[in-house]
Amino acid sequence: MVLADLGKRINSAVNGALSNSQDDYASTVDHMLKGIVTALLESDVNVKLVSKLKNNLKSKLLDSKGDNRSISNGQTKKMIQKAVFDELCDLVDCRTGESFQPKKKKCNVIMFVGLQGSGKTTSCTKLAVYYSRRGYKVGLICADTFRAGAFDQLKQNAIKAHIPFYGSYTETNPVKVAAEGVAKFKKEKFEIIIVDTSGRHQQEQALFQEMVEISNVVKPNQTIMVLDASIGQAAEQQSKAFKESADFGAIILTKMDGHAKGGGAISAVAATNTPIIFIGTGEHMHDLEKFSPKSFVSKLLGIGDIESLLEQ
Amino acid sequence: AFSFLKKHILGNKTISEEDLKSVLDKLQQKLISKNVAPEVARHLSQQVSKDLIGSKTANWTSVENTARESLIKALTQILTPGVSVDLLHEIQKRTSQKDSEGKKHPYVFSIVGVNGVGKSTNLSKLAFWLLQNNFNVLIVACDTFRSGAVEQLRVHVENLAQLTDESHVRGSRNRRGKSGNDHVELFEAGYGGSDLVAKIAKQAIKYAKDQNFDVVLMDTAGRRHNDPTLMSPLKSFAEQANPDKIIMVGEALVGTDSVQQAKNFNNAFGKVRNLDFFIVSKCDTVGEMLGTMVNMVYATGIPILFVGVGQTYTDLRTLSVKWAVDTLMS
Ligand SMILES: Nc1nc2c(ncn2[C@@H]2O[C@H](COP(=O)(O)OP(=O)(O)OP(=O)(O)O)[C@@H](O)[C@H]2O)c(=O)[nH]1
Ligand SMILES: Nc1nc2c(ncn2[C@@H]2O[C@H](COP(=O)(O)OP(=O)(O)OP(=O)(O)O)[C@@H](O)[C@H]2O)c(=O)[nH]1
Ligand SMILES: [Mg+2]
Ligand SMILES: [Mg+2]
Repeated sequence: MVLADLGKRINSAVNGALSNSQDDYASTVDHMLKGIVTALLESDVNVKLVSKLKNNLKSKLLDSKGDNRSISNGQTKKMIQKAVFDELCDLVDCRTGESFQPKKKKCNVIMFVGLQGSGKTTSCTKLAVYYSRRGYKVGLICADTFRAGAFDQLKQNAIKAHIPFYGSYTETNPVKVAAEGVAKFKKEKFEIIIVDTSGRHQQEQALFQEMVEISNVVKPNQTIMVLDASIGQAAEQQSKAFKESADFGAIILTKMDGHAKGGGAISAVAATNTPIIFIGTGEHMHDLEKFSPKSFVSKLLGIGDIESLLEQ
Repeated sequence: AFSFLKKHILGNKTISEEDLKSVLDKLQQKLISKNVAPEVARHLSQQVSKDLIGSKTANWTSVENTARESLIKALTQILTPGVSVDLLHEIQKRTSQKDSEGKKHPYVFSIVGVNGVGKSTNLSKLAFWLLQNNFNVLIVACDTFRSGAVEQLRVHVENLAQLTDESHVRGSRNRRGKSGNDHVELFEAGYGGSDLVAKIAKQAIKYAKDQNFDVVLMDTAGRRHNDPTLMSPLKSFAEQANPDKIIMVGEALVGTDSVQQAKNFNNAFGKVRNLDFFIVSKCDTVGEMLGTMVNMVYATGIPILFVGVGQTYTDLRTLSVKWAVDTLMS
């Protein structure tokens, strides 16, 4: 995963600053913060978040060293790592309590939303395959009546994955298709019903209104926003707007097999206080991995054993 | 108060590195917040330094305003294409020439880019623009990989056929038995591997020549720019199809990766071939954050042909450099 690159750079900023014994502690911290800031900005983390994180870290580090002037370099390093770790965790770990778990023998509706081309349709099938392999009865609905070929795309994916699907070539109202599909699958006792929707963006009100209407009729148990890992500074405002209208409860981060560092997505997580639950790592239906923020950040920082760090 | 004025407002001041530092930091930060990649923002601020250190501010002009002006100049310079290309004229010229058999050679475009950026949609917008200018267009489905890619283009061809001829019946076949009508037609051969792609491309060009098409637009599958197994087929594709213009679609939403995306696609065709143009799509989704276009042009020097500003056929615009620079600086 290329995100590890960010971890390496943050680590080397920490190590580099610490190894320079000429500097006093305050300039070591300054030095290191500069390196971290550059690494984060180059990974598309939101500008405002970066400056907030920098200030938090600075006051944390300067304060704690103030109490205890005689600690060793090794201890200083650990302390710095922990402070950085905590700050990054605050960014991606949103402590929103229990995450959604679909219930067997019940009907769980999952609705997908997101910007154009982010990977919704592809991820819908991936998630359907994921749950289907775990014994759920899963159906897919194409409530994208706008994008050319959207139904064919979902249909071909579903057929390949042996997942039942619903959609229409003639109906132009996505709210209607969604309602009909959910009703049909509910009647047939499907346990997980996944609803794919068109790509949309904050600047077009009518599209957001449509999303709200779809949501109102399908009454999702979980709404997932799909985000492309390469997204830049626009991540924050777009994801905030989606949060306000669709109140999504989870994020799937796609195209993590690419070269992008995913900092924009981290900013979206922070801006909406919503966790990433899966990452997409390719175009094929099995390219989906579970995501855990804590182990993600520890990997990011190259810290093997977080627990020992946390006990400090 | 007077000394403050003297220091900050009054002109005719020799500008030092010291004076510029905080001003440039601020401008860089602004650019980054507009989605300009940090390395590009640094480059621009170096340009401003080079331009200004040792020079004098104009009368009644602060260092800050002088730096802004210089940055506007640098951004304008990056975004302004080095050569002016009148594509319609070029196509006209080409299609008016006939070979010994009395046939014209069609003008061929291929569209490339990473996954989901808007290649197929903007290809269809290009088709609409060409149709409006009275060219016949053959649309070629060279994305034989992604589910629904062929059907997606077929829907566009039906839409475009209806737009050029109201009496067109959706789903009907034209006189050659294909989707579309006399003006716009789909060339397809289903789904398959990369051998199929090159084969379709060559067949399509021959077909277009035989059937007297003016322009061929080839869609290709989205690919990750960091995967050599996906990128290397582009080279042989370009060799076989030998398109007149290769256009990369990049989306305005992408962050710093846009620099590398543009570079890798520009380098994908070997030493003797480059990209010819960019289309920067989804500019309607980023508000003022237009940095991606600066990143892509900075990384390669390849000019922007059009910007995409929406999902309908008319949402394709020529880039106004002034608009882009004003938006970035606002
Ligand atoms: N490499 C890679 N490509 C992906 C991934 N997820 C999706 N894609 C590709 O991204 C492109 C867009 O995916 P779609 O699923 O069509 O995106 P969408 O959000 O449904 O698009 P719209 O419905 O038009 O808004 C396709 O070419 C997919 O194959 C991923 O995790 N990795
Ligand atoms: N808002 C907006 N959406 C756009 C624009 N251009 C394309 N899109 C949307 O982006 C999504 C993806 O477009 P496609 O044309 O399928 O992208 P692609 O690059 O061909 O995708 P793959 O073939 O899967 O790699 C669709 O929902 C389009 O409607 C644009 O300029 N503005
Ligand atoms: Mg879709
Ligand atoms: Mg396409």
